Amino acid sequence: MLDVDVYLRQWAMPHVLCPGCAHGIVLRSFFGAVDRLGLDQDKVAMVAGIGCSSRLVGYADFCTLHGTHGRAPAFATGLKLARPDLEVVVITGDGDALAIGGNHLIHAARRNVDMTVLMLNNSIYGMTGGQAAPTTPQGSIASTTPQGSVETPFDACRLLAGAGASFVGRVLAANPGAMTDIIADAMAHRGFAFVEVVSDCPVYYGRYNKIGEGADMLTWMTRLEQGVADPLAEKRFVEFVPGAGAPAGLATGVLQREERPVFTGARKATP
Amino acid sequence: MSDRSKGLLLAGVGGQGVILASMIVADALVRAGNDVKQSEVHGMAQRGGSVVSHIRWGPRVSSPLAPKGSAEVLAAFEWAEGLRWIDYVRPGGAVVVDVRTIIPPGACVDRRGWATAYPRIDDGPIADRRLQPRLLNAAAIASGLGNVRAANSVILGSVAGFLDIDDQYWEAAISSLVPKGTAEINLAAFRAGKEAGTVVIPAQPAPEATGVAGPHVIEVKHDWCKACDICSRVCPEYCLALTLDGKLAVVDPDACTGCRLCEILCPDFAIRIHPPVVAGVAAGEGAS
Ligand code: SF4
Ligand code: SF4
Repeated sequence: MLDVDVYLRQWAMPHVLCPGCAHGIVLRSFFGAVDRLGLDQDKVAMVAGIGCSSRLVGYADFCTLHGTHGRAPAFATGLKLARPDLEVVVITGDGDALAIGGNHLIHAARRNVDMTVLMLNNSIYGMTGGQAAPTTPQGSIASTTPQGSVETPFDACRLLAGAGASFVGRVLAANPGAMTDIIADAMAHRGFAFVEVVSDCPVYYGRYNKIGEGADMLTWMTRLEQGVADPLAEKRFVEFVPGAGAPAGLATGVLQREERPVFTGARKATP
Repeated sequence: MSDRSKGLLLAGVGGQGVILASMIVADALVRAGNDVKQSEVHGMAQRGGSVVSHIRWGPRVSSPLAPKGSAEVLAAFEWAEGLRWIDYVRPGGAVVVDVRTIIPPGACVDRRGWATAYPRIDDGPIADRRLQPRLLNAAAIASGLGNVRAANSVILGSVAGFLDIDDQYWEAAISSLVPKGTAEINLAAFRAGKEAGTVVIPAQPAPEATGVAGPHVIEVKHDWCKACDICSRVCPEYCLALTLDGKLAVVDPDACTGCRLCEILCPDFAIRIHPPVVAGVAAGEGAS
């Protein structure tokens, strides 16, 4: 049984995130994955940039590095090359990873640096006041798009698969069991692993788009997933059940997995 | 004392015929010249819920409800229902219980392993209160006579042994109230019940053997909780609720099955579910 108190910095709690923000559920599932893999806390390095999701490193009792906006993959690359014995995990948000830090992210993926990136996608810039992000769905309301966003959003998983990430997966914050499975899988993978967690921002995205509060947003996100209808709405909880056929919606699970030489920074010895 | 009114409780599970049996008792008491009042509670009667009927009789009765610790007799059509109402019996009073068990869905504390928190059959609680026990296997007696549905009349026969009512009134009440065509078998069941003694309860395994002794313990860290309402909305058993002043409250701790949905989905790490306490020690030490 996972004992979260082992992994939490008790003195820093309660965390700053808003009531109902699913990011805390993601942190718990990450603890579950570390616990399952039996990793030594001093051998896990969590690297973050700026944003609500990046704040999570402050509460996790591992080696933690809180860097600058968007540059977490760059810090993490340097750290992994200097300390290959560490299990390096980047925790980032959609704005941090795909807008300000898009460049760093795709190049870490291209190089296949051995790290895991957890990108918590809440479809908006939460920390700075609800502006539209590169992931805001078309038509969604944000503080900068009061009539609805007109831009095409990124599909982060397709972007990263295209950039050469050797492991790509997606999971919902509403499915903590599946989330622990996929994060553990990604961390055990040798090479660049990217996991998009569909999280939520009840305070901005949920309110502007009239979805509701934390519990409503968890229900809402399960409706976005392929093959699952309304698990939370009926006070029942089902784990991800792949549907027959492929109805429209977010594909979840492991979307790409391949074995590819890992970047170590060393020049290959010429024969 | 004879001028004081006396009380009797009948308890069972919806569908067992508790109400009909209490009408028979009340009718027999009226025929015997008493003032009688009767009142029943049967909220979920059709769905296996608890049903209880109070009867009071005497020269003059003002209220139908027997206060705790006052009833002459408790007649229970099911084991756990008997235990539920046992505190209503006066010291030295009688408990007539059918030892059959009907385990309600709410007693399930582990949906995967199907462990239940059903009280084991053991006459300890009856002996502890110095009550006169009459434990019956009424259903077996009734089926021996040809109709298991006459089990109620077996119980009434046993109850009759503790009340001062002439048999003619009992038999008249039964004959006039039971469904048409079943008077004979019900009268036979009544007589069999009068004769039946108390059964000896075979030794049961101690509850520790099942590893389950009660509900899980819900601990809320209120200084971490942000009252987001997620846990209360996901709990399948409705154990948790936000109060009007916006605080999380554990409203039904006994209903907790230990599914941990609330703990796992709380974004603020504010809930800890502890395993049930077994024989005075927490089952999973170190979970705090
Ligand atoms: S889910 Fe957690 S933070 Fe939200 S109301 Fe329940 S205990 Fe409080
Ligand atoms: S563990 Fe939590 S969600 Fe599950 S029954 Fe108990 S209080 Fe409800």
